[in-house]
Amino acid sequence: MRRKASLILLAAAVFCTALSPLLRWYAFPRLAKVPPSQYQDTVLVAEPATLVDYGTMKAKKVPRLTVVQTLKGDVAAADRIERTADRDVVVWDALTYVAGPDGKMVSQIPERYIFDAHSQEPVHATGESVDGDAVRRDGIEYKWPFLVEKRDYSYYDPQTRTAAPIHYRGTRTFHGLEVYYFEQTIPWTKVPLPKKLPVKGITADSVRKMGTTRWYTTKRMFWVDPVTGAPVNGEEIHKEELRGGDLLPGGGKVTAFAGHVKMRPDYVDAVVALVSSQRTLVLLLTSYLPWGFLTLGAVLLALSLTLEARARRPRPTDPAPAARPVVSGGP
Amino acid sequence: MRALTAAAAGLAAALLLVLTVTAIGAPDGTTSPKPLRTTVPAHP
Repeated sequence: MRRKASLILLAAAVFCTALSPLLRWYAFPRLAKVPPSQYQDTVLVAEPATLVDYGTMKAKKVPRLTVVQTLKGDVAAADRIERTADRDVVVWDALTYVAGPDGKMVSQIPERYIFDAHSQEPVHATGESVDGDAVRRDGIEYKWPFLVEKRDYSYYDPQTRTAAPIHYRGTRTFHGLEVYYFEQTIPWTKVPLPKKLPVKGITADSVRKMGTTRWYTTKRMFWVDPVTGAPVNGEEIHKEELRGGDLLPGGGKVTAFAGHVKMRPDYVDAVVALVSSQRTLVLLLTSYLPWGFLTLGAVLLALSLTLEARARRPRPTDPAPAARPVVSGGP
Repeated sequence: MRALTAAAAGLAAALLLVLTVTAIGAPDGTTSPKPLRTTVPAHP
C-alpha cells in the first residue's frame, strides 16, 4: 500500500516540477499577448496652454487644453493580417483628439498601428498609417513589451513619422507600483500639418501652398509597469510653431501649441487599477505558479521518498521468526 | 522500473496540460462597437 502511494506521489512530484519551467518558458511566451479586441481611452490635460488664433495668427493663452487618446483593436483586420504574417497580430486604430477649452476640435490625428501581439514589434502590412499617410514603423508605440528591460527602446513618434531612442532613466515608485521611467526628447523638427485643422477653409494643403511650415519639439515621459509593459502615467512637454510663408511673412513664427500635458488624475487611477490586475495575471505565469509548482514538486518528492524508505524498512511490529522448539533428549 | 513509469506518467501529464492550454489560448473577442472618442469624457 505504501509503495503504491509513494509511486503516485512521485508521479505528482514530476508533474509539478515539470510544470514549473514549462509554464515559465513555454506557456508564458505563447499565452501573454495583447488582446486584439482591446478598447482603451486616456485623457490628458495641459493647464494652461498656448494656442494659435488662426484669425489673427497670434498665440493666445488658454486655461485648459485636453487630449483624448483612444485605442481600438480591429479584430477582423488582425485576423486578415495574421493569415499572411503567420503570427498573432494586433491592429490598433488610434485617434489623438485635441480639444480646446470650449471642447471644440483643435487637431486630430488618426493612426493605424499594427504590431506583434506577444513582442509588440511593429508588423508591416497595408493600412499602417499616420493621419492618412502610409508609414513604416520601426519602434514600439503606446506599449512596451511584456517584462520590460532596464534599457533604451526605440519609440515611434507619429508627428515626425520616425523612431528615436527612448531612454531608461531609472526605477520609480508610482501609486505604490514599482515602475521604470523613460524619457524621449525630439528636437525641433519640421513636421506635416494635421489633415484636419480647426478653421473652415484652411487645410494642410492651403497652408503648405502659402509656404508656411509646422515645427515641433517634445519631451515625452512615461512611467511603465515593467511586468505588463503598460504605461501607468505619461506626460509631454510639447511645443509647436508655424513658421514663415505668406501667413507669417519676413521669417516670422508663432506658437501653434505649447503646454505641459499630463494624464488626468481620474485616468491615472483607472489605468493603475487596470494595470495592477493585468500584472497579477502575468506574475501568475512568470513567478507565482512556476515557483509554487517547483516547491510543491520538491515537497511531494520528499514525501514519496519517505514513504518508499518506510516501505522498505522492516516493520517493528512484525513477529520475530519463531524459535525452533528445543527437543530435549531422554536420559 | 515502476518508479520510472510513474515519473514518465507525471511528465506526460504536465506536457499534455501545457500543450492543451497553449493550443486553446485566449479568445480573440470582437471589435468594440464604441467609436473613437471626439469628445472629452467626464470620467474613465
